Amino acid sequence: MQFTGTQQINAPAQKVWDFMLDPNMVASCAPGFQSMEILAPDHFKPTVAVGVGAVKAKFTLDVQLEDVRPPDHAGVRGRGNAVGSAVELHGAMDLTPVSDTETTMNWTADVIVNGVIASVGARLLEGTAQKLTARFFDCFRQKLEAPETPAASEAPATPSTPDASDTGNT
Amino acid sequence: MTSEAPIIRGMGHSVKRKEDPRFLRGKGHYIDDFKLPGMLYMDIVRSPYAHARIVNIDASKALALPGVLAVITGKDLDAAGLAWMPTLMSDKQMVLPVDRVVYQSQEVAAVIATERYIAADAITLVEVEYEPLPPVMDPHKATDPDAPLVRPDRDAKTNHIWHWEAGDAARTDEVFQNAEVVVKQDLYIPRIHVCSIETCGCIASYDKIDGKLTVYMTTQAPHAIRTVFSLVSGIPEHKIRIISPDIGGGFGGKVPVYPGYVIATVASLQTGLPVKWIEDRSENLQADSFARDYHISAELAAKKDGTMQALRVKTLADHGAFDAAANPSKFPAGLFSIITGSYDLQAAHVEVDGVYTNKPSGGVAYRCSFRVTEAVHTIERLVDTLALALSLDPADVRMKNFIPPEAFPYKSPTGWEYDSGNYPAALQKAMAKIDYAGLRREQAEKRARGELMGIGISTFTEIVGAGPSHTFDILGIKMFDSCEIRVHPTGSAIVRIGVQTQGQGHETTFAQIVAEELGLPVENITVEHGDTDTAPYGLGTYASRSTPTAGAATAVAARKIRDKAKKIAGHLLEVSPDDLEWQDHKFQVKGAPGRSVTMKDIAFAAYTNFPQDVEAGLEAVDYYDPPNLTFPFGAYICVVDIDRGTGMVKIRRFVAVDDCGNIINPMIVDGQIHGGLTMGMAPALLEAITYDEYGNIQQSNLMDYLLPTAMETPVWETDKTVTPSPHHPLGAKGVGESATVGAPPAIANAVVDALSHLGVTHLDIPITPWKVYQILEAHGAAEA
Repeated sequence: MQFTGTQQINAPAQKVWDFMLDPNMVASCAPGFQSMEILAPDHFKPTVAVGVGAVKAKFTLDVQLEDVRPPDHAGVRGRGNAVGSAVELHGAMDLTPVSDTETTMNWTADVIVNGVIASVGARLLEGTAQKLTARFFDCFRQKLEAPETPAASEAPATPSTPDASDTGNT
Repeated sequence: MTSEAPIIRGMGHSVKRKEDPRFLRGKGHYIDDFKLPGMLYMDIVRSPYAHARIVNIDASKALALPGVLAVITGKDLDAAGLAWMPTLMSDKQMVLPVDRVVYQSQEVAAVIATERYIAADAITLVEVEYEPLPPVMDPHKATDPDAPLVRPDRDAKTNHIWHWEAGDAARTDEVFQNAEVVVKQDLYIPRIHVCSIETCGCIASYDKIDGKLTVYMTTQAPHAIRTVFSLVSGIPEHKIRIISPDIGGGFGGKVPVYPGYVIATVASLQTGLPVKWIEDRSENLQADSFARDYHISAELAAKKDGTMQALRVKTLADHGAFDAAANPSKFPAGLFSIITGSYDLQAAHVEVDGVYTNKPSGGVAYRCSFRVTEAVHTIERLVDTLALALSLDPADVRMKNFIPPEAFPYKSPTGWEYDSGNYPAALQKAMAKIDYAGLRREQAEKRARGELMGIGISTFTEIVGAGPSHTFDILGIKMFDSCEIRVHPTGSAIVRIGVQTQGQGHETTFAQIVAEELGLPVENITVEHGDTDTAPYGLGTYASRSTPTAGAATAVAARKIRDKAKKIAGHLLEVSPDDLEWQDHKFQVKGAPGRSVTMKDIAFAAYTNFPQDVEAGLEAVDYYDPPNLTFPFGAYICVVDIDRGTGMVKIRRFVAVDDCGNIINPMIVDGQIHGGLTMGMAPALLEAITYDEYGNIQQSNLMDYLLPTAMETPVWETDKTVTPSPHHPLGAKGVGESATVGAPPAIANAVVDALSHLGVTHLDIPITPWKVYQILEAHGAAEA
């Protein structure tokens, strides 16, 4: 599945960059996020619960940042397994400052899903992916556009609410 | 001495099925009903990838779960030389992979546990590390130079498996060069699944004390399985017993040996305890052998007046990762060369190329007598294509080109000798029953009003009863079949047959054959099958072969008994056996019908009062080697209405006139045809298995794979003609698959007919509402 999108964010580019390069910040908005092991600043192992239709799966991912070119480009590559399913993803983002307080983010994602999630959830997969993406960016924008809260990025990411994994099948 | 003729209810009687009381009361015994003392349970870890290297399998967490006894991997089996097994098509197949998986849901490891739920939990704890490889999903790209190799284990480093052809290429090309008209049509007959209600499973039970392995198995061919098990495992054949109990639908899907059977057997050999394995629905849909999947390119040469002259066909067959079809050895493309159908052609040439892809094994014969469905669909679509091109009525084109009744036995251009047929009679009967002329008038009126109605015909010829030993074998075992009959002193009998019922009603029809031949009441005859320790050897039930082979063996065995009974009858009546005749199901003295004895009298005498020169007892065995195949046929006419708002095709009427020769039980034949028509309608309108580019199956459950229910099934109208087979002892031909083979093109032809005025000349099956709606919309014919 190929996805591309553009986000207009009412926040300076550096703030967006800092958010996206901080695994705890990204995790705090990732739907279904459960826990994470940080192996290196650019290498993480998050556990994420995903539901596609009637199928629920808990993926353990191995994620590596790549092609990181501050202040405007970063890529990510990941692979993960759940019982009977597997996922591979490759993503990239480019930031363009529009003004001191506005940033445009162009992003792409290439996701390959194999196994039960893909076969049982086939008809719902793309819709679910779009919904999860939308949910991530809603949270992302909310956090970035909110007034400054001190030390947000130092707090470890906490598992998102249970309903975050209850997706699809609408 | 005189005896009243008993009420026999033999050939031609609609005897109610003897098996139904137990089925209707829930008292059948299917695999999962068996529970043996100390039984263990097996569940299987399957691959999420269509193609991947296995880097590591870590079973430690699964083994730590209380109740888990073992986790079996390919490396364990490899050590015992059992990681691979032979297929029925001279290929080999992984039981469990050592280092790579080649289709999604392939078996990767098996967990053996004390409880079924523990086994199911434990498979989620087996951690398998894969390195994904690019899969080959499109058979058209399988032989590209840069295509990944599906089977690097083979010496031939190509995804091409075999090339097969039949007919005369030069003669065919010559006719095509001089033809006035050539019509061409590409067809795809999609991959479909047998999807029997009962999934596959087994209980393997090895007794370490006497060294005997008993396997209860959902198999259509228990005897052949016993031989293969013995050859592969080294266990002497008399120490292996295969029991095929009540089977909840086979349809071809239960002919192959699946890895689960072998792994469960290995687990039982190791533990000395019974091991049960039962597939769930998704496993069955995703991993068991598939049917069809033929990409066909066909051309028909004809004269302008509609006279068909020659047929040229090229086919790409997607066999998945292992060539594990269950065809006779010499027929990698099954009996696809029946493709000239009911028509008298000068020449034909048919080619098929089999290729490997990263899908489960294909090529299983799903109620289609070995690729006859694909053949019939092709020729029946082509006849309509020709009729449309020449603006002729498709019924007229068929009548014009039928093999005439007087031409039988008829030698087809691909080498078959059709035993008997009367095709015009069947079509005329169907046309009269449905009022074909009236329907054409109605269609013209409706079309003028913008309504969409179509009429489709299929006049198919089947080829069943494999088969004669000079041509037909599976792994070298000739395709004879067998029957053993023992008549008890009080005039009842037990009949054991080499074929195995999966719902066909053998316990009733085979009893009727014996009843007819021996003059014993049908209720006094028990039929047994499916237990290799007691039944005579046979190749099993599939491809509509039971009646043509074991049915013939049963008649011949009964006649052997009757020959002996005649001597005893002469003794009882104190006349020479030569003075006796078999009349009204008893022996009577010629010219003195008042002097007679029944088989019941004779049976008693066979144990109490037999002549000095005759052995005691009354039993016989016959192994029947059929001299030829049989060729059932039929004429089907389908009327459809299409909803312009939704694209939904509704079958308004469907008349099926079948000719399967002499009929043993008309009610059972009718039931076979009703079921077959429904199973023919399903792929025409609903069913198809597809994969995404990564090899994910898109129909892994019954929400996505649409089986017909009573809601989708129209009222079938059946009728018959009777053209006996000249070489079968009963004149019977076999009927189990006729309707599945004949129905799809009748429906497809009807839909194309309904849309032909829009310029539509062909639609591949399944003809879904979405497919039709897109056409309607493109032509401005859709209703808003």
